[in-house]
Amino acid sequence: MNRMFLIAQREYLENVRTKGFWIGILMMPLVLIMIALVPILVESTRSTQQYAVIDESGETLQAVDRAILRRDFGYLITNFAKGQEDHLPPFLATHFPELRALPDDLIENVIDIIFEGKVADDSYSKRLRHFFDLESVNIRKWWQNLTAEDKARFSRRMSTNDYVRISEENLDILNQMIRDGELFAYFVIGPNPVESNQGARYVSNNLTDRDLETWFRNQINLYVRDRKLTLSNIDDETAAWINEAFSFEGVKLDEDGSEEQVDETDIARQWAPVAFVYFLWVSILINTQMLITNTIEEKSNKLIEVLLSSVSPITLMGGKIVGIAATGLTLVFAWLLMALSFFVGLPLLIGIELPIDLSMVLADPSFLLSFLMYFLLGYLLYAALLVGLGSMCNNLKEAQNLILPVQLIQMVPILLMVPIGRDPNGTLAQTLSYIPPLTPFVMMNRAAGPPTTIEYVVTTLLLVISIVAAFWLAAKIFRVGILMTGKPPGFIEIAKLLRTPVVSQTPLR
Amino acid sequence: MNSIELHGVNKYFGDHHAVRDLSFKVPEGTVYGFLGPNGAGKTSTIRMIMSILYPDSGDLTVLGDSMPERVKDRLGYLPEEKGLYKKMKTRDLITYFGTLKGMSRREATKRARLLLDQFGLLDCEDLHCEGLSKGMGQKVQIIATLIHDPDLVILDEPFSGLDPINVELVREIILDLRSKGKTVVFSTHIMEQAEQICDSILLVNEGRKILDGSVTDLKREFEPTLLLEYDGDPDSLHQPGVVRVNNMGRSAELSLASGTDPQRTLKSLMDAVTLHSFTVKEPSLHEIFVRSVGGSTS
Repeated sequence: MNRMFLIAQREYLENVRTKGFWIGILMMPLVLIMIALVPILVESTRSTQQYAVIDESGETLQAVDRAILRRDFGYLITNFAKGQEDHLPPFLATHFPELRALPDDLIENVIDIIFEGKVADDSYSKRLRHFFDLESVNIRKWWQNLTAEDKARFSRRMSTNDYVRISEENLDILNQMIRDGELFAYFVIGPNPVESNQGARYVSNNLTDRDLETWFRNQINLYVRDRKLTLSNIDDETAAWINEAFSFEGVKLDEDGSEEQVDETDIARQWAPVAFVYFLWVSILINTQMLITNTIEEKSNKLIEVLLSSVSPITLMGGKIVGIAATGLTLVFAWLLMALSFFVGLPLLIGIELPIDLSMVLADPSFLLSFLMYFLLGYLLYAALLVGLGSMCNNLKEAQNLILPVQLIQMVPILLMVPIGRDPNGTLAQTLSYIPPLTPFVMMNRAAGPPTTIEYVVTTLLLVISIVAAFWLAAKIFRVGILMTGKPPGFIEIAKLLRTPVVSQTPLR
Repeated sequence: MNSIELHGVNKYFGDHHAVRDLSFKVPEGTVYGFLGPNGAGKTSTIRMIMSILYPDSGDLTVLGDSMPERVKDRLGYLPEEKGLYKKMKTRDLITYFGTLKGMSRREATKRARLLLDQFGLLDCEDLHCEGLSKGMGQKVQIIATLIHDPDLVILDEPFSGLDPINVELVREIILDLRSKGKTVVFSTHIMEQAEQICDSILLVNEGRKILDGSVTDLKREFEPTLLLEYDGDPDSLHQPGVVRVNNMGRSAELSLASGTDPQRTLKSLMDAVTLHSFTVKEPSLHEIFVRSVGGSTS
């Protein structure tokens, strides 16, 4: 036991001193930062798409333009952030805090007052009403004349960030511009869009990116629907009622049967296991890979025989597996610490609130504890299987061929990650839980279900029995394989080897 | 007292009968040579003594214990294929092997430095093994073998691939160990080396023992050979009574059929070639090997 510890210790110290280990540790924050940054980067590198509109109806475009202008102004009020005051004109800056403080429905009204010339009623303070009387026109003019770049300063959500209309209406020129790649697309609105689609066309050379088309179509739809309601003599109130969308409220039942509101933390909780499974999978893969590389290196370093003159093959194998497990745990703990500080510490430090509270998920013992347990058990099972096979190989290439079947099994949990996460207590999930090589991943995947205590007990028992069996097999192979030179044996030869009693075991060649 | 005793040991590798009914004794405090051509079963025998392999049948006693695993800590083993942990410091590596043999870390470090000093490598104690020259690496491997002051040292082909300076060094180490009362077993396929330093030898071929015993006794048992320097036709050396000619160009070793009188052979040789010198001598181990293998296979 003492010598196994010595081997494990040396293995651990040598591993944590390698560059690869530190690169592995630093990968985690890089991955986290990338997860956070990539969508933003993709968004920001996306260039603004230019479009033109030929409006044969004569009034649709005007109405749509006004609606876009209004909506963007709404974003100005609702998404205004501190530090942007300097970009506001003085006449707006003085009253802006008051506007922002208004409830949502009143803000909608403010936009009507400014853009449609509606009269402000008693819902607003005297001060605001006076302000509207004086400045509505100025605000409208200021907003109409603002460039897309100026608007972008206030919010990323402004439509002008993504789509900018140019005023060209000559068909030949537009076609030429499309051919030259100067224009992304142009729309033709038929003579009467309220009546029919007749004459409506979308012209572009890029038919894969349909975002602009979808967005502009929605704008027209809103206008057409409004017009239809007006033409049917439906009053505003009824129109609003007709327009109201239907929605379900998400509710889940607690164990005692009481209802509970579903919020975003619950959804995060439901999907957190998937992230943990992925994490588990990567950790186990990295560590078993390290074990194989290490074993083969030691073999090619010709140290095996010297080591075997001091310790038994089983002690050697055990020491290696324990040493790499310690390396793996260090790596995993470092990652967990980083993830915790990234999702919990960092927001606290810079004083922002994440849209969903991930600290709850991370602090939940059913996730973290089962993660650590399944990491250890899963690692031990795969370590035993792979170290046995790896011991027979003289280089990584040979090893890759021999361990391919094991790696195929390892792929299954990744492929089934999402379906199991969606239905954590379904038949598929339950069945796969009882297949020991899959147990750690599938049970981790089901953590939000959660599985019953009986399931936990039985599957863990099966897993532990498999680990013991795998170690027994690995030990038999290892003590012979580790001295083997030349081509690794086939599976039939390995099977033959496993049937031979340990004492009379010999290298196959 | 014998350091190693084997009785009727057999070892199979699949269908290959690698060691056949092998019995021999290595007396304590001697230098013992395992001799034989490549593939004779020397390494397999050594691995069984080191309990890296197990015999299929037969008895094996090492340092008085019939379970050789139990005395592993008193054995020092330098395999033919040997290496170092490249990323470890020389001193740490030697210390590590010491602790694997049951030494405390302090004790092992102390002795590692002592041995490094003796081998003139103290300057390299903080060097990573990958930075050592080939010769230095070999010295470090020997130090790692001797770190725990073993009672029985087993060296598998210790001279192969060494330059003359290092051959001399290894020979000195072996003789030094003997002078301290340790038993040294080494294998080689080069007879001259064994002849120079071994007290006793074991000759094996195709897994079978050809002969064993003290070098002096063995030489006495065999008919003497004739060493001569000559000019002339080598074919003329085959005179009546000469059973084998080991021709080396201008000199030759002639073995005689038993009962042949060397004086009569000398006479007939003088008529056939020009002789410069003529010596009646004990046979070399090489000669003994060739005679024995010839005898055992025919």
